[in-house]
Order: sequence, then C-alpha cells, then structure tokens
Amino acid sequence: MTKRREIADGMKTRIAPLLASVQARLGPLAGMLRPILVPFLAVVSALMIGAIVIAISGRNPLLAYAGLIDGSWGSGRAIAGTLVRMTPYVFGGLAVALAFRAGLFNIGGEGQLLLGTLAGAWVGYQLALPAVIHLPLALLAGVLAGFIWGGIPGFLKSRTGAHEVITTIMLNYLAIGLAGWLLNDNRLMKDPSPTNVIARTPLIAESAHLPALIPGQDAYPSASAAPEIVHWGVVLAVLATIAASFFLWRTVWGFEVRTVGANPSAGRYAGINVPRVITLIMGVSGALAGLGGAIQVTAVNYRAILGFNVGYGFDAIAIALLGKNNPFGVLLAALLFASLRSGSTRMQSLSGVNADIIAVIQALILIFVAADQLVRWLYRIRARGLEERTTLTRGWGR
Amino acid sequence: MQKRLFTLFLLLALLVPALAACGGEAAPTAPPQTGGGGQAQPTQGGATEEKLKIGLVTDVGRLNDKSFNESSWNGVLRARDELGAQVDAIETQDPNDYAKNIDEFATQGYDIIVTVGFALGEATIEAAKKYPDIKFIGVDQFQEEEIPNLAGLIFEEDKAGYLAGALAAYMTKTGKIGAVLGTDVVPPVWRFGEGYRVGALATKPDVEISLVYHSDVGLDKAFTDPEWGKLQANSMMDKDVDVIFGAGGITGNGALLAVAERKDTGVMAIGVDTDQYYTVTEAQSVLLSSAIKRLDEGVFDLIKAVQDGTFKGGNFVGKVGLAPFHEFEDDVPEDVKQKLTELEQKLLSGEVKTNVSPVKP
Amino acid sequence: MTRGRFLFILAVIVVLIGAAMYLSPSTLENETVAASMLATTLGVATPLTLGMLAGLFCERSGVVNIAIEGMMLTAAFVGYTVGAYTQSLILGLLAAMASGGMMALLHAWLSVTFKVDQIISGTVINILAFGLTGYFNDLLLRRRDVDIQSAGLTPTIESLADRPVIGFFFKPIDALSDVSVIGPIFNQKPIAWMAIILVFVTHYVLFYTTWGLRTRAVGEHPHAADTVGINVFKMRYANVVIGGLIAGLGGAYFTLESTPQFEPLLTSGRGFIALAALIFGGWTPFGGWAAALLFGAASAFQSNAQQFGVPISAHIIGMIPYLLTIIVVAGVVGRAFPPAAIGQPYQKE
Repeated sequence: MTKRREIADGMKTRIAPLLASVQARLGPLAGMLRPILVPFLAVVSALMIGAIVIAISGRNPLLAYAGLIDGSWGSGRAIAGTLVRMTPYVFGGLAVALAFRAGLFNIGGEGQLLLGTLAGAWVGYQLALPAVIHLPLALLAGVLAGFIWGGIPGFLKSRTGAHEVITTIMLNYLAIGLAGWLLNDNRLMKDPSPTNVIARTPLIAESAHLPALIPGQDAYPSASAAPEIVHWGVVLAVLATIAASFFLWRTVWGFEVRTVGANPSAGRYAGINVPRVITLIMGVSGALAGLGGAIQVTAVNYRAILGFNVGYGFDAIAIALLGKNNPFGVLLAALLFASLRSGSTRMQSLSGVNADIIAVIQALILIFVAADQLVRWLYRIRARGLEERTTLTRGWGR
Repeated sequence: MQKRLFTLFLLLALLVPALAACGGEAAPTAPPQTGGGGQAQPTQGGATEEKLKIGLVTDVGRLNDKSFNESSWNGVLRARDELGAQVDAIETQDPNDYAKNIDEFATQGYDIIVTVGFALGEATIEAAKKYPDIKFIGVDQFQEEEIPNLAGLIFEEDKAGYLAGALAAYMTKTGKIGAVLGTDVVPPVWRFGEGYRVGALATKPDVEISLVYHSDVGLDKAFTDPEWGKLQANSMMDKDVDVIFGAGGITGNGALLAVAERKDTGVMAIGVDTDQYYTVTEAQSVLLSSAIKRLDEGVFDLIKAVQDGTFKGGNFVGKVGLAPFHEFEDDVPEDVKQKLTELEQKLLSGEVKTNVSPVKP
Repeated sequence: MTRGRFLFILAVIVVLIGAAMYLSPSTLENETVAASMLATTLGVATPLTLGMLAGLFCERSGVVNIAIEGMMLTAAFVGYTVGAYTQSLILGLLAAMASGGMMALLHAWLSVTFKVDQIISGTVINILAFGLTGYFNDLLLRRRDVDIQSAGLTPTIESLADRPVIGFFFKPIDALSDVSVIGPIFNQKPIAWMAIILVFVTHYVLFYTTWGLRTRAVGEHPHAADTVGINVFKMRYANVVIGGLIAGLGGAYFTLESTPQFEPLLTSGRGFIALAALIFGGWTPFGGWAAALLFGAASAFQSNAQQFGVPISAHIIGMIPYLLTIIVVAGVVGRAFPPAAIGQPYQKE
C-alpha cells in the first residue's frame, strides 16, 4: 500500500512540473492538455495490462510494443499507412460523436459507410466528367447515401420513438444484404469484365481519384499496392474535425444539438424543434460515415469491394468514446487506434503475438476512459473544478 | 518499475502532442517515396542455398480454419520439416491490409511468399511486379498474364464437386441429396456447389437436390457459423435428404456434425477441401468421402520447385478428387467405385465437362 | 406486449410457413415441410431466446444490456475450453455460466457502481470479449490442438431418457420425438429445452414473486423502491448477474450442445438480434420468445426457399427479418414501453 502511494506521489511530483513546462512551451495547446490527461493515463494503464497478458502467454511484451511502434511510426511509409488508416476512423468517430452529442447512439456507421462506398463507386465508374466535378460528385454521392441511411433511424426515432440502436443495427444488416445483392447477384453494379471473380464494382474513372497530398505523385500506382503515400482524405479528415468543432460550439445549430442532448424537454421549452434536430443530426452523422466510405473508394480501393472496409463502423464507437465526443479528441483517438491497428502487422511478424491483443488493449483503454474514477483513483489525480460530464445516451428512454 | 513507468510516460507525453501536430500539417510527414527498386529489395542473392525463408499471408481468417488457410499452411509446414525452411505467417485482419502484410515479408528478405485466397489476387500481382526477386505463390488465384516470379495455384473445384455429386447420387437411397455451402460470393465455393449439382444430375437425372448458400450474412460471418450449417443440414434431413455435402469452412463443418448426430438413420456426409475424416473426427462414422483440393501438396510442390530451381510463373493446376471412403469402404459398391474412377479420368482428360462457369454469373 | 403485436407475429409465422409449403416441390408432403419449418424455427430461436432472457433480467432492473453478444461469446469460449481440457460436460457448462456471470459482474460494476453510461459499458464488454476470446483461442486451443470428443459431451434426449431421475422428465419427450409430423419439434437437446422452460420460469418469477416485483420496481421507480427499503444497487447487481448466467447458458448452447467446436466470432451477431427480440417483444418473456420465433421463422423461410430453388436472391430474402423488425419497432403494430428508469444510473439522494 505504502509502496504504491510512494510511486503515485513520485509520479505526481514529477508529472506536475512536466505538465507545467509542456504547457508553458506549447502555449495555446495547454488548454488541450488537461482534458487529455485522463485518457492518456488510461492508454498507459491499458498498455501495461496488455504487456502483462503478453508476458503471461510467454511472449516478449517489449518486442511486441517495439513492433507496434515500428510498424506504425518507424518509417515514412509506416506513418503514411497509419494516416491513411486513420482517415475512415476520423469520419466514423465524428459521426458517432455528433450523434452522441444529441443523446443518440449511432451503431449504424457500418451500414452508412458501406452505402457511402457503393454510392461513391457508382458515380465514380458510371459517369465521365472532368475531375473538378467528378471527384466532388463522387464524394457527395457518399455523403448523400450516408445521410439517407442515417436519417431513416433519426426520422423513426423522432416520429415513432423507435430506438435508434435497434433500427441502426437492422439497417446495418439491410445494407449488407443490399451490397451483396448489388455486387454479386445481379449485373447492376458488378464488375462485368470476363476474368473478374470478385464481388466488386468496376474501377472508378481516374477523374474521380482523390489525389496524393504531394503533387506529382500518383496516390497509388494501382488499387492494390501498399499504401505508401498520404492522400488528401487525411486533410479532409482534419478539416471535418475542425468543421465539426465549429458546428458544435459556434453555431446555433450546434447549440440546439447540445441542448437536445443534455435535456430534450428543456430544448422543447426553449422552442427547439426536437424531432427535426434528431432527424437531421442522425442524417449528418450518417453523412460523415458515408463520406468516409466514399473517400476509401476514391483514394484507396478505387472501387467498392464486398467485404472491404468492414468493422470501421464499430471501431468508430470506441473512438468516439475515447475522444470524449470532442472532435479533436476523436482525431487523437483515431490516430491512436490507427497506430495500434496499423502496427499490428509488424507486431505479429516480429514477436509472434496474436493481433487480437489489440482488441484487448482497446477494450481496456475504453474501460479506463469510461470509468475515469478508476484512473483518477489509480494515479491520485483530483478532479479540478467542474468536469464536464457529457450525457452520452439515455438508454431506451425517449 | 517507478523509473520505467515514468520514462514511458514521458516518452508518450512528448509523442502525443507531436502526433497531433502531424495530423494538422500532414504535408511534412508525407513519406519520401520508398525507392521502387533496389533499396526495398531483399539483399540476399544466394540465400536459397542456405535456409529458405517462407512467409504466408492468410485471407481474413485464421490459420486453423480446418479449411483452405490451414491446408495451405500445412504445405508450408511440410516445407519446414522436409526442406528445413524457416516459416512464418501473418493473419490478415482487414482486407485493406493485404498489400501491407505481403510487404511485411517482402521487405524482410523472405524468399517465398504464399498468399492464400482469391481476394489477395491483385495485391499479389502488384507485389510480384514490385519484388521480382521474390517468388510468389498465389493460392486460388488465376493468372491472366504470366509473371515469371508468380505462380497461381488454382483448382478445378467444379470437378471435385462433380465427383462428390455423382457419389451422392449413387449412394442416396431416398433420391434426395443436399449441400450446405459457404457464400456464393466466393468463387471456389460456387464451383464446388454447382459442380455438385451438375454431377448429381448427370448421374441420376431424377435426383432432388437442395442447395443452400449462407449468403444472407456478411462475408465475415459466412464461413464461421457452424450453428447455421447445422440447422440447414437438420432441415434437409427432416425432408428425407440422406447425403449432405458440407462445403464452407466451419459453417460446412456444422453440417457434418449435424449428420453425425443422426447416424442411426443411415444418413451420410461429404466433406470438403481436405480429407475431413482427420479434421472433423466427430463425423468419422458418417463421412462418406471428401471433395478434396490438395492445397498442401500444391503449395509444397511449388516451394520445392523454387528450391530445385524449376519454378515457373503462370498457372499451376493443383490436384482435385475424392478422398478415401474410410469406414464406407465396404458400403460403396465395386461398380460405383469403378464408375467414379472412370469419371475422374474423363473429367481430368476433358472428355466430360462440368460446364460450370468459374464464377456466379 | 400488446395483443395486437402477438397476433401480428403469429400471423407472420403462419404466412411464412404457408409460403414455404406453397413453394415446396410437389414431391414433398406439406406436413413434412411444416414440421421442418417448425424445427428450424425453434432451432434458430434457441440462442436468441436465451440471449433475450439474459437481456430481460438486466433491463427489467433498469440496466441496458447491449453486451449479450459479448457475454455469449465469452461463455462459448470458456465453456468449450474448460470442457475440452477437463473432458467434462458439466464442468464446461458451469464454467460457461460462470464466465457469462463474470462479464455481467463487470457490466454491473461499471454501470451500477461507477455509473458509467450503460451502453458504453456494454460496448466495452463486447470489444473485450472479441479480443479475449480471439487471443486466448489462439493460445489455449489452437496451439495445443485439443478437441472435445463430442460423443460423451453432447447428450441427446435419448441418452438422457435412459438416465435415472432426469429420465423421468425426458422419457415422454423422447417418445414424442418419434411421432411423425411434430417429431422434429420435440427432438431437441437439453439446453434448447431449458430455454423454453426458462421463458415460463422467467414469466413466473417476474410477475408472481416478490423478487420480480422488486426487480420491476427498481427498473421503474428506483427512488420509490429505495424509500420502501429495497436495496437498488443489490437488486441491479443481482439481476445483471442472473442475466449473465443465462447468457452463459446461451454461450454453452453453441459450443457444448450444438456444434462442439469454437471459432472466433462464432456467435455471429446473434446477441444483437436477441436484443432486438427483447425490444420487439416489449420486455416480456413471452413477447420476446414470440419475437425470437419470428426471427426463426423468417430465417427458416429464407433457407427453405433456397432449398426449393426459388429464384430470388438469398441476399434479398435474407433481409426479411430485419425489415420486419424495423417496421414493428417503429410502432406500426402496437407500442411497447421500456422500463421507465432504464439507462439511468441510480444516485442515492
């Protein structure tokens, strides 16, 4: 007991000046640092427990983590891979976070993203337009598809009270069925080339490609090469983060969303059209996920392929929670999750640790973030002032 | 402990804001193009004389899927045991990582990279062009154009399915046979299933066939749902189907287990990919045979060809056929055995055609 | 659960079975098709029913449970692993239930004690379950190559009918399972039977015992319950854990009774469908069971249509149950009301 206290005290005395110096140096970033302290300690704790699990199973945790870091940040190419992986995470995470801000739980990111890829791919291969119009149109198609797929549960929630958790799960299954039907069972969207054996659309036109960040480099030599170059989607992700943040705190709209999230009846008394806000914010949430899907198509896969980009919608939930529903928090969380996922290949080949450990670490991070009292108690951090405690969901209630 | 903890903390503390900055101004972090040629290539010319290094990249799924990943891996393991190769595997978790996972082995000086599954086809071709000194083996990947360092190991599953269908038609007492299959999105599964249908009808035109694909769920679940496979097989047996072909990873294995539970009623099962007498031991007493594709043998032969210096690019057609009858050796009539042997020869020589399209039309 | 919704579900099931009979080839007797449809319906419904009941205890006490999937998956893995290592069915079953209970305990600890948002706590458990089962499957089952020799481990009704004491119960069932038309319905295994029995038991416990009254009170008006001396925390903990034990039974169904093998993600999202069935059925045991049966019937129709060679895409027919759920949850056919205090952590005043 005393030993732990010693460690804790030691850490406290060291952390405080460290924080102060970092704050002093980074100036404007200082405000950002305090809110990320707990999530940050959560990550550290989760990694330590993960190390123990790896050690118990007879592997070398240091080697595993070295592989993890090397595989995600060890080379220019690794960093590119991580940033490319981060992009759909950011869009998915923002989608879930915005819905959470209105007190809604969008588990439908998976289906919204899938429809975004289908719509983006369709515009990409079906139309022949100059790039200036074609690319934005393809992305817009993804946005629109996501908006509809997300708007349906929003509409049902606001009109009939059908809980969005159930309807979004069901819409995920419907999206999967629809994609299977379009890509495999009929000729509506399936790649008609005689040698094609895969359930996928034709390649999109070059005019719909999202270009590489550095001009002159082709984003990818072809659809299946390893990602080595950062595409503009990363910038779009950062822009979307800024836009989401601006939307939430600088617009009337954002105020309405936050009010409805905090207390719908108060919102009603304040004259906010609550059903409209719910429908639209779910639509916007879906649109973000759909845009993420369209970017995957126009920048990474160059076509929609059945079975690709699966699981991002679910990872997005964890990312939104880790980012505490703050757009910039989501960005950091997406970066972290992308690093973990992207480094897991090197980790596997270097240390032989099964990649499933990543999911364990992610779950532990979430536990520590969600139950932040646990972290505060563990590291003896006192809550300063009024910590904002966001209402995330309200169960099945109306 | 305290010190290490603190160091780790410090390291990460410095890292996080740095990373945040990276996210903001992505331009400077964009990596320099990793040289397309010399720099990325492994630097061991005569390494083949020493220890062969073989890496296997799975499709989304596990090495121990009792199906194609496992069978291919067994071929690699045989190379370890017989040729003294050093072997390693990466399990793919996300299809977007195919190319990356192949690159992982390519940049670490592996001599041979085996990629398993038709879905990795394009990524493997790209990698083969990028790393001309490494030999690639693409399992279930048809090669349109010949790349000297890439061999596509392909199988005519429709022929194996055809033989299984013929066997089922010969052996059924009720005149009703069935098949529980993974999803028709995956071409080899489609070829097994349709070959089975054609083979059965060619043998006995009046046989009734129930074919079910697990296409109602996502690709990620189609092959890992034994519960579903079992329910399908039970549903068929309720309708007097007495021979069931289970083809679709763990899902198909569920069908074999269901048949095993009703062995008293005289039902029989046919397995897939490997001789499932050894992989699904619970179903031994009902397992008539298996429609096999010798993935392990094909992979091993190609690896051996690399060592012997006889490796060639292009397509390499692996062996397909029926597994031994094991406990049904005495139950299968001699004339049926003979007919099946003839049929197999006719199929291989091209005298009998299955007319199954390589992919669902 | 309104009567209207019950009738709606009944009508849909009848229509689906009728449609299957209509589509079947002339060589098959209608009775056979109906019996087979019913058997598949019950088969699909079994894990859904157990999952639904797991969620029911939890949610009736005021705790949302979207972690049914994770609890079942964990139990499926632990049950199989313990069963395989000890070669004992009963130890495997107990371990499965215990592991489901442990996951539920974590859920209760996070959501009741730490007042973490209950949906988040559920999400955490799901992710944790995916990771842990995948990781330890690799470590404990794959590397060691152990297998359950199923012969002794998956008992059939017949084998149970021969055993002392419990044979008394299973003998009549065994006899019924030989009857021609309804035979397949009765030809079920112990956990499948337990699922049905549990529906009745749960109904009784929830609506005719003090425990049930307290559970519902805690889920509807925790403050009022507190003032009359009910310990809200204890009731919630207990009900969440009971739910976990039932989810554990559901997990055991997969790997110890149905198909004796474990594969990561083998529950295939059934926990989420079970959750939908719970809400669909208006938080009542019989309503939820009816909803599970509806899912079963839709799934049975989908596979039978394929077997009969109906030329409609399996992808399209496969959407039927999900579409139905959306329509029903949207309140088109009768409304359902969740427990009033669900989702709100209780704060003593």
